[in-house]
Amino acid sequence: MIKVNGLEFAYRKSPGKAIKGISFDIDDGEIFGFLGPSGAGKTTTQRIIIGLLRGYQGSVDVMGKERIMWGKDIFEKIGVAFDFPNLYEKLTAYENLALLGSYYKNNSLDKDQLLDSVGLLADRDKRVEKFSKGMKMRLNFIRSIMHDPEILFFDEPTSGLDPVNGKIIRDMILDFKKKGKTVFLTTHNMNEADYLCDRVAFIVEGTIPVIDNPGELKIKYGQKSVKVSFNGDGKLQEEFFPLSGIGRNSRFLEVLNQDCVRTIHTQEATLEDIFIKLTGRELL
Amino acid sequence: MRIVNALKADVRFQFKQGFYLVYILLTLIYMVILGVLPVEWKSTIIPLVLFSDPSMVGFFFIGALVMLEKVQGVLQYVVVTPLRSLEYLLAKVFSLTILAIVATVMITLATYGYDLNWFLLIIGVILTSSFFVFFGFIVAVRCTTLNQYFIRMIPYLLFIVLPCFSLIGFPYDWLFNIFPSVAGLKLVYGAFKGIDFLSAAAYSVYLLLANLVIAHYVEKIFDRMATEGA
Repeated sequence: MIKVNGLEFAYRKSPGKAIKGISFDIDDGEIFGFLGPSGAGKTTTQRIIIGLLRGYQGSVDVMGKERIMWGKDIFEKIGVAFDFPNLYEKLTAYENLALLGSYYKNNSLDKDQLLDSVGLLADRDKRVEKFSKGMKMRLNFIRSIMHDPEILFFDEPTSGLDPVNGKIIRDMILDFKKKGKTVFLTTHNMNEADYLCDRVAFIVEGTIPVIDNPGELKIKYGQKSVKVSFNGDGKLQEEFFPLSGIGRNSRFLEVLNQDCVRTIHTQEATLEDIFIKLTGRELL
Repeated sequence: MRIVNALKADVRFQFKQGFYLVYILLTLIYMVILGVLPVEWKSTIIPLVLFSDPSMVGFFFIGALVMLEKVQGVLQYVVVTPLRSLEYLLAKVFSLTILAIVATVMITLATYGYDLNWFLLIIGVILTSSFFVFFGFIVAVRCTTLNQYFIRMIPYLLFIVLPCFSLIGFPYDWLFNIFPSVAGLKLVYGAFKGIDFLSAAAYSVYLLLANLVIAHYVEKIFDRMATEGA
């Protein structure tokens, strides 16, 4: 669906390159996470693929055609939700969807149903200026999908949302995948990426040191051991056991047989740990 | 039709932002002031007001419109919809020009009457309004706040409006016809004071060409802005 090869980009007034020869492919129906700290090149890459930055070097193939060869028709097929809720403040939620929706050929999705899906139906006729940031983010989100696009670009889609609404948005993203849509997710929220993405790319200072499936990464970079917490000698204790040969580990079996185990956890790494390990950078 | 929908969107946006209320008040103030003018002054003062109204309002309103869209971030989203740059720009031009025509007709009927060349007046107002909307856009596109726009527009405004004083009569004043604003003013004046056919046709064609050139230029700078961060 998207093939990026040897992409380089430099801003006109900046001395260095913001993107330094990155390559990656995104398959049909895949949720691809683009992770990195602020200023790493996440948004720049996303803007190049969307078509908001020109003058890049290398190749950016979107739906079988080089990005710069596409006209405005591409926006019938892609949906974009920026991290900032850019809405008509004086118009109502419904008017925001209706006015901008009228620019698309496919304007058939039911707007009330969309509003309902993110809990905004009761506020459909309320002016957006009276909305909280979370409400604006939800409206921003459904506006990007109202023309039923094939590729969706989401930049920090759950930023500013409470856990309940964050879950609604995450479930909707998973639902797009079920419908065969491709999702390009830009975030610095590692838990979200872990939950949603089929593959993640870490981007740091314009380069991509690793692209892989989050589950594989966690196993590959985690410790191959189990942490057991249990009550022993009147207090809570913790012990680590290597996964290799654990079924024959007498101490492990002894702890299990004492019937005082509180928790057992395999020691796979978190995406955040892996990111820091591979890039030497924090995700801020 | 996308452009019709863009026009509807602009009208709704302008209405909700209170543009029309301001315009109605402005028109009423003009009507009251022009209505009490001595009759012998009317054919001189009214065309001046009818020229300045669409040009200034177009110039001010386009700035306010674009800045409001920029500040609210809407422009950032509009550029990722299938709406073409020219459609976006023409919707602004049409909506503000329609406003200018309505105000022109109302002010003229209320303060002057029917006895003038309506065709020339409307042509003059349309071409002047559209030119000033495009011209205002050139300033607005480089600004990030409304205050910045109001400061930066001053030299642009002086550059385009000052030549209009050539109508008072200067040596070589025909040279000032190069300014589209002067051509617009002469058309509007001609509707009241009379103008020979050839001059009217020449000013109209020149102003039309000026509109086409500035529209093309503005479309290019809009595209550049869209791909460098709206």
